[in-house]
Order: sequence, then structure tokens, then C-alpha cells
Amino acid sequence: MPGQAPGVRIDGLTVVYKTPAGELPAVRDVALTLEPGTITGIVGESGSGKSTLALSLLNAVQPPGRIAAGSVDIDGLGDVVGLRGEELRKARGKHVGYVFQAAQNSLNPLKTVGKQVLDLGRSHGVEDLRGLVRDARELLGRMGLDGARVLDSHQHELSGGMRQRVGIMLALVLNAHLVVLDEPTTALDMITQANILKIVREVHAERGLTTLVITHDIGVVAEVADRLAVMYGGRLVEQGPTRQVLGDPRHPYTKGLIRAIPRLTGDIAEARALPGRPPTLTTVPERGCVFRDRCELRMDVCDTDDPAAVAHGDRIVACHAVKVREHA
Amino acid sequence: MITGEGIVKTFKQRGNVLGAREVRALRGVDFAIPKGGAASFIGESGCGKTTLGRIIAGLETYDEGELTLDGVPMSSLKPKQRQPHFRKIQLIHQDPYSALNPTRTIHQTLNAPLTLRAKQTGRSKAWIEERAAEVLSMVGLDPGSVLARYPHQLSGGMRQRVVIARALTVDPEMLVADEAVSMIDVSLRLGILALLKDLRERLGVAVLFITHDVATSRYIGDDGELYVIYRGQVVERGPVDTVIADPVHPYTQSLLSAIPVLHGLERPGEQPVTPVESMEAGQDESGCLFAPRCPFRGERCADERPLLQVTEGIPQEHACFYPERRSVVARPMSEV
Repeated sequence: MPGQAPGVRIDGLTVVYKTPAGELPAVRDVALTLEPGTITGIVGESGSGKSTLALSLLNAVQPPGRIAAGSVDIDGLGDVVGLRGEELRKARGKHVGYVFQAAQNSLNPLKTVGKQVLDLGRSHGVEDLRGLVRDARELLGRMGLDGARVLDSHQHELSGGMRQRVGIMLALVLNAHLVVLDEPTTALDMITQANILKIVREVHAERGLTTLVITHDIGVVAEVADRLAVMYGGRLVEQGPTRQVLGDPRHPYTKGLIRAIPRLTGDIAEARALPGRPPTLTTVPERGCVFRDRCELRMDVCDTDDPAAVAHGDRIVACHAVKVREHA
Repeated sequence: MITGEGIVKTFKQRGNVLGAREVRALRGVDFAIPKGGAASFIGESGCGKTTLGRIIAGLETYDEGELTLDGVPMSSLKPKQRQPHFRKIQLIHQDPYSALNPTRTIHQTLNAPLTLRAKQTGRSKAWIEERAAEVLSMVGLDPGSVLARYPHQLSGGMRQRVVIARALTVDPEMLVADEAVSMIDVSLRLGILALLKDLRERLGVAVLFITHDVATSRYIGDDGELYVIYRGQVVERGPVDTVIADPVHPYTQSLLSAIPVLHGLERPGEQPVTPVESMEAGQDESGCLFAPRCPFRGERCADERPLLQVTEGIPQEHACFYPERRSVVARPMSEV
């Protein structure tokens, strides 16, 4: 089915949350392109705005948040920022599948999985409900589960890894070709995590999807993503092909983050914590670079000017220091 | 010195539709953690590592075996008599967001255990204030700016430091850190691990680290011992770097193979091991507990249960009839 995978162009996206201190940006001026048929990973720490960015793809940012500027253009759907009401409801699920953080908590505890599939079909006006259940069973079977048994189960009868697969099935069963996975493996064990990531990769290739994975764990992105985007304080600070970014990070935050990963082998002294702490909605500086307080390359200009995201070949980096070095 | 011998714990669930159900959380576990030493328990959720940690911290009883603290067997004591012994062992929870009372300032949080401690040791009120500032400095926080604050005004990393500071107020000999960094932001994790290592070196506090993230267990000290636990049984045990670099038990190898490889920075191991069945499917009680999922199971595995043993040519202890070294761990690109 390749060829159906939609491309996504996010441009100038700013999402603000209303707080007692006024409207504060959780995502600021983000530009990101998801090429059709690729897996993109967004990595960020808590409060980096990564989940807010993902919700914007569904135009589902909840009040007190709102999309203040920018566009999210999805092939075959147009700019979702402009969609409202019924149009928007139909787009969710049918065009964009979303696997929520902790899928274990997003299932209805009172209904069997099969009934939830039927609910989903009815709310989207699917006529062939039998066909839908058959698709659901096949998808579950594809992911190594006994489809018939799972469809007849309530969520408490399923393990964490099984629920996560049910979440993926629900995101795909309406034949969505753009899929967003928010922290798909948090709270799962290592072996289960490896399994789920393998399934994500395989299903992505077989069904011809465009996939976005949101995570705080670089390891997850390293395993599945073609492209990697790093978020910090609501800004995309670096993006590029995964192996290049991991092997040769340019932005000082990306460098620090990679250096801070505990390593299984090699010299433990090579890994170091990043000094300082990540900003929250209220502590993100209004002007200048969001990372400057923790940065070892800080210059005067960082205090006043927000660095623009500049393309260096395949890589896009938002850092004054990197720009200077490139020109030197 | 804390030792456990043949610790068994079975949870019984009554009132099920299908009658009583037994869950064997621990099936005869031996361990020894020397004064000021370090040990890590690793394994999947449900393997019993948290139950073992709670037994060691005195929060859970055991059915069989013996737990010995500084030479005193705990089963010989009445509950009241055990209390002063278990004071020496403090638990640090996974979630620093729920471990602190949100309606109390850090000052109040530290004051309660310190007042108790002052009464026990006959110290003055001034000592309490002094000591509160001291324990906060020990964990790398500035007492002046932290004492008057509430937990919600601190970041996750700072909260976890406060939790550690609170544990230090009662002069413990061992900290049991149960997944203590898994909810901390990646860029701050190493800071907490370095703190635990530092407390070992400066105060001689032993650290028991319970985690599913094997890599973090290296950072509390290279003299640490690693215990790999599967379904309530220790299946491999040895110096942390030895077990990670040269695992011989297929379960340890599966765990290590499942760790994501940082492509571009690391190259994957050449012989990754994947279990043949899922955890739910492999719940046989006969023979080796891992046999139903083991890709290398042999004839003996179905009927006989291997116990932790030492065999020739293998530095660590293992519970496998057919131990074999396999290269499963990713290594840095720079290392050829």
C-alpha cells in the first residue's frame, strides 16, 4: 500500500497556555516536515512541549491551551488548524491515528476491546462493521496476539504490552496512514519494549505509514526513527537523520543529552549529567535562546536573540554558536 | 552487613472466582550486601525484585529463610525489637512526586524524623536545625533556598534529592533505591546516580539499587554486584561489569539484547537473544523457570530446576545447565 502515506508540513507553529502570568508558549515557532513513509522521532524532556506538538497534529490541544499561530498541513486533509467540529472529528481516527501515552489508561475498562472497536466504527460511519472487526483481529494477529481472545477481553485481563498493542490496533483499524505514538513504551519492560518497537517498525513498513514517535528516551528513537528532532523549552533545537544526529550532534543540548545517557559498556566517566535543569512553562526565557542557562557555548547574542533554525545540509540546527563555527 | 538466605515469599489471593490463587514472588533467594557495599537487582516487572527490596527494608514479611542484619537474625525478634534494626535501612521510592507530603515545606518534612532522632540520641533542638541543613547540603541542595519551599516548587531531580536527604536524617547504613531514577529527566539522571555513589564513598552507606535499566546499575560503583532475577529466582549473580559484558544465562542475555542500540554511536552485539515466548505464555512451574521461553533449552531443562552455582571457567554464578557466553551487548563505535 505504499504511496498512500501522507506528508506533513508543520510551519511556524506556536501553542500557548493560559496561566495567571498571561499566555505562555509551550511550543514556539516550530517548523517540521514529516516526509511520506518515514518514521520521525521527537525527543524531549518533561515540559519540552513534545506532547503538545503531537496533539497539534490532531488540532486537539485542550483549553487553557490553544494554537496561537502557524499551520499543520497534512496531505489529503489540508491545514488541520482550520478544521472545526464534524470535519475535525472525522479526520481524527480516519486520517490520523493516535496512540496515547499509557495506552493502558486510554481503554474503556467497562467494555471489551471488541465493543470498543465497534464504537469506533459506528462513530465514523463504517458500514461494514463485520469487516472492521475482521481487520482488527488480523491486526492483532499480526502483532502476535490471539485476536479473537483479545477482542473478547476487558482491559484488566490484558498485560501492559498487550494493551499497548491494542492501542496501536485502534489507531490503525480505520486505515489511518498518519500515526502518532506518544511515549509508546513508557512503563513497559525492556523485552516488551523491544517487541513493541519491532512491531511499530514492521507495521509501519507493511501498511505504508507516516509515523511520528514522541519520547523522552533517545534509545527508543535510535531503534525506530529515520529522522530525529530534539525539542527543548518548546523549540526544536536540532533535527536530521537519526544516525547522523546521534553520531555527530551539533546543538550543545543534543550533545549534552547524549552524553548524559548511562552507558552499558565503555568508560562510565564519559557519561556526565547536564548541569542545571530543564525549563518549565513559567521559567522559559521570553527572549533569547531557551538553552543558554545550561549551555557551555553561551555568547552575548544568546541573551537577546532567539537563534533561527538554519539548515546545514541534512541537518537543521538552531544555535548561534554552531552558526558562527560553520562560517569560520 | 545484610544477608538473606533462602528467602521465600508467596502471596495468597483469596476471594477469586476460581478460588485462592498463589503467586510465588520469591523462591529461595540468597544475597549478601557488605557494609558500605553496592548491589543491584535487575529484572522485569513482576520478577520479585521490589518485593525483595521491601523485605530488606522491613516493610514486608517473608515466609521462609532468614534475613540477617549485622549478625542478628530478624525472625528471632519480636516486631518491636526489629524496629531499631530496620531504621538503618531506608527506602527511596520511584516517584518523588508522591513521596513527599505536598502540604508540608521541606523544613517540616525533614523536621519530623529529625525530632525523633534527637529524642533517641539525646540531642538538642539546635541540632535539629543544624542537621536539616547538613543533610540537604549532603545531597547537593542549598538549604537556604530549599528549606522554606513546598515540593511543587521543586523540579523532579530536586525532589528526589530531598527524598534522599530525608532518608539520611535517621543515619541509615543502607539505602534501598527502587527505580529511583526512572522518573527523573534524562539529563539529570546521572546527577542522582553520582550522588548515590558519592554517599557511599563519603558516608559509607551501602546502596541497594533496584531497576529494570541495567546501564544505571553501573553508576553506583564498579565494586557492585548484579543480581538478575527471573520469576522469583536469582538466575545470574556477579560483579556488575562482568555480568553485563559476559552474560552466560539466556535470560540475562535476552534482557541485555532488548536494550535499544544507539545506532551511529554503538554497534549492536553479534548474537542477540530473543525469548521464544512471551512472559504470559511461559508460566510453567516444572523444571527451569525460563525454559518455556528459552531458545537454547536442552533435555534437562524441562524436569530439573538449575540452582545458582559456580562452574569452571565462568567467573559469575549462574542458574543454567547449558551456560554459554554470547556477545549480546552493544559496544561503542570507538571500541574496535
